[in-house]
Amino acid sequence: MSQLRERLNGLKKSGEMGVIAFIMSFLPDKKLCLECIKALEQGGCDVLELGMPFSDPLADGEMIEKFHHRCVEKGLSLKEGMEFAFEVRKTVSMPLVIFTYFNPVYNMGIPEFRQALEHTGAEAVIVPDLPLEELTRLTEYGLDVIPMIAPSSPQERIKEADKLNPAFIYCVSVRGTTGMQVLPEEEIKDYLLQVKSSTSSPLALGFGISSPEQVRVFKGYADAVVIGSLLASIIEEYEAKPELLPGEIERTIRNFKKAGLSF
Amino acid sequence: MYPDRKGYFGRYGGRFVPETLIPALEQMEKSYLELKEDEKFNVELNDILKNYVGRPSPLYFAERLTSFLGGAKIFLKREDLNHTGSHKINNTMGQALLAKYMGKERLIAETGAGQHGVATATAAAVLGLKCTVYMGAKDAERQRLNVFRMKMLGAEVVEVKKGSQTLKDASNEAFRDFIRSFECSHMVIGSVVGPHPYPMMVRDFQSVIGKEVKTQFKELTGKMPDYILACVGGGSNAMGIFYPFLDDAVKLIGVEAGGISLEPGKHCATLSSGKEGVLHGALSRVLQDEKGQISPTHSVSAGLDYPGVGPEHAFLKETGRVNYVNVSDKEALYAFHLLSRLEGIIPALESAHAVAYTLKIAPGLSEEECLVINLSGRGDKDVEQVAGLKEV
Repeated sequence: MSQLRERLNGLKKSGEMGVIAFIMSFLPDKKLCLECIKALEQGGCDVLELGMPFSDPLADGEMIEKFHHRCVEKGLSLKEGMEFAFEVRKTVSMPLVIFTYFNPVYNMGIPEFRQALEHTGAEAVIVPDLPLEELTRLTEYGLDVIPMIAPSSPQERIKEADKLNPAFIYCVSVRGTTGMQVLPEEEIKDYLLQVKSSTSSPLALGFGISSPEQVRVFKGYADAVVIGSLLASIIEEYEAKPELLPGEIERTIRNFKKAGLSF
Repeated sequence: MYPDRKGYFGRYGGRFVPETLIPALEQMEKSYLELKEDEKFNVELNDILKNYVGRPSPLYFAERLTSFLGGAKIFLKREDLNHTGSHKINNTMGQALLAKYMGKERLIAETGAGQHGVATATAAAVLGLKCTVYMGAKDAERQRLNVFRMKMLGAEVVEVKKGSQTLKDASNEAFRDFIRSFECSHMVIGSVVGPHPYPMMVRDFQSVIGKEVKTQFKELTGKMPDYILACVGGGSNAMGIFYPFLDDAVKLIGVEAGGISLEPGKHCATLSSGKEGVLHGALSRVLQDEKGQISPTHSVSAGLDYPGVGPEHAFLKETGRVNYVNVSDKEALYAFHLLSRLEGIIPALESAHAVAYTLKIAPGLSEEECLVINLSGRGDKDVEQVAGLKEV
């Protein structure tokens, strides 16, 4: 079993709420980005979701979109991102998932992308603009995909996601893009229970998770939370004080982890 | 019959959007397919098209242009005479009515030149819906008049200051709005682009153009035209006039914006220079760099300034049914002035591209041959911009 599956299944079994961190490659710069990633691991982060830059990131809100554009302006793309992922893999040992929009993958060629993915040691891929029907474009090449499910998804689509036997299912917690305000608590809980009734895969709740308090609230409903925009805003805030950045990242993750511990 | 059940035209099309939107698109497709056959809906839509939009639009024999060029007879399909000044209203009235039947209370639109934005704001006003239009800041600057028009019509206009600040970025923002608001809002995509069912739906609403041409041309001449030309950005006016003729022996020519030159970033000739890719929800041809990042584009015409193209056009290029060519900014501007002087018709810069290619081929054709240009919009919106261009 892959390290990723093992980690998620472990979380599910223990009832502990795991933390998955989304980090955009290369930002604020390559060295500091690697340090942030090290800090994530030291803070207890369970899975790293490494973002690949794209010029038109439709599923992302303002904060993360800005990060995509910063990378694209520097001429960075999927190829450089995958090389960076390889370095990340050598630096930390937490499971690694690649987050990328579809066009750069399609442009690279799916067999070539699969090769690059294997080379980096990343274990799965999240493609936010591929709905379930189109995921076969990747699975037919043996790629492990993380399907996304939204509050608007009917039961049969949750079952479709389950059929992929994913390492986890990414449950979007907003009607909208990343960084938005999550739905009311009760609505999210009902939604997660509904997803749970159709799949035995571990569930990660993401988009708009910004406080450890949310971890406490949804513990027992999901097996992990994904934090992205929050980390991006910390990175942006501490860019001018780079020596403080890794510490701040580590502290943040630690707080989330503490909130997610089982009693 | 295209598209297939999954929304594909051959290899092109489909739905490449976040999972969140899928139920909304499925609902939209279902409602559209039902309403398409619904008598009440069609009676209402046809009444709007006739008495509000002013259809059928005339098919006009451009005698002075024809004798100036000295070749094929040239006819203009006068979509510029529609209410709001372009073909865009055919689609926005259709989609707005669909939205109303689906119980939505708000319309969202992206706009380049502003014609689609104005047409959506107009449809919202007359059907009593709320409306938000996203427009790139660069486009809002060069098409200021249309920004005022939209606001006067009661729409909220959001100027998008990200990326290239043109249609592409306005579309991104409109999609983001739709993703968070689809329960009460309908996104009125203005071209034959986007995820299924949009390319099909927009084509169907626009195909009223081609259907009318067929009837009108027969009444005028007793036969079929030999050539039909239309400009292609996303490709809705072209798809609308081509579609009813796909099975007929009529040569179809789509004219893209060749911009300043065919170097990357200086044009919008997506079908000539683009590669297969995914942008705004569909697999089609896309202008992109070697790494799969969407390229910046340029055209003198804001409405053609877009790095993507409708998937059905990509398909029709591949099958060879439609011939796609391009003309430069300069050629389009020359055609803009020529048509204004010879026929007293100031065309939209978009439509001027189709006129420009006509100038190239008409002189070489015989007087027996007939050519129809889809004059998709009027040029009032472009007058200020063209007047500011020194070289003309």
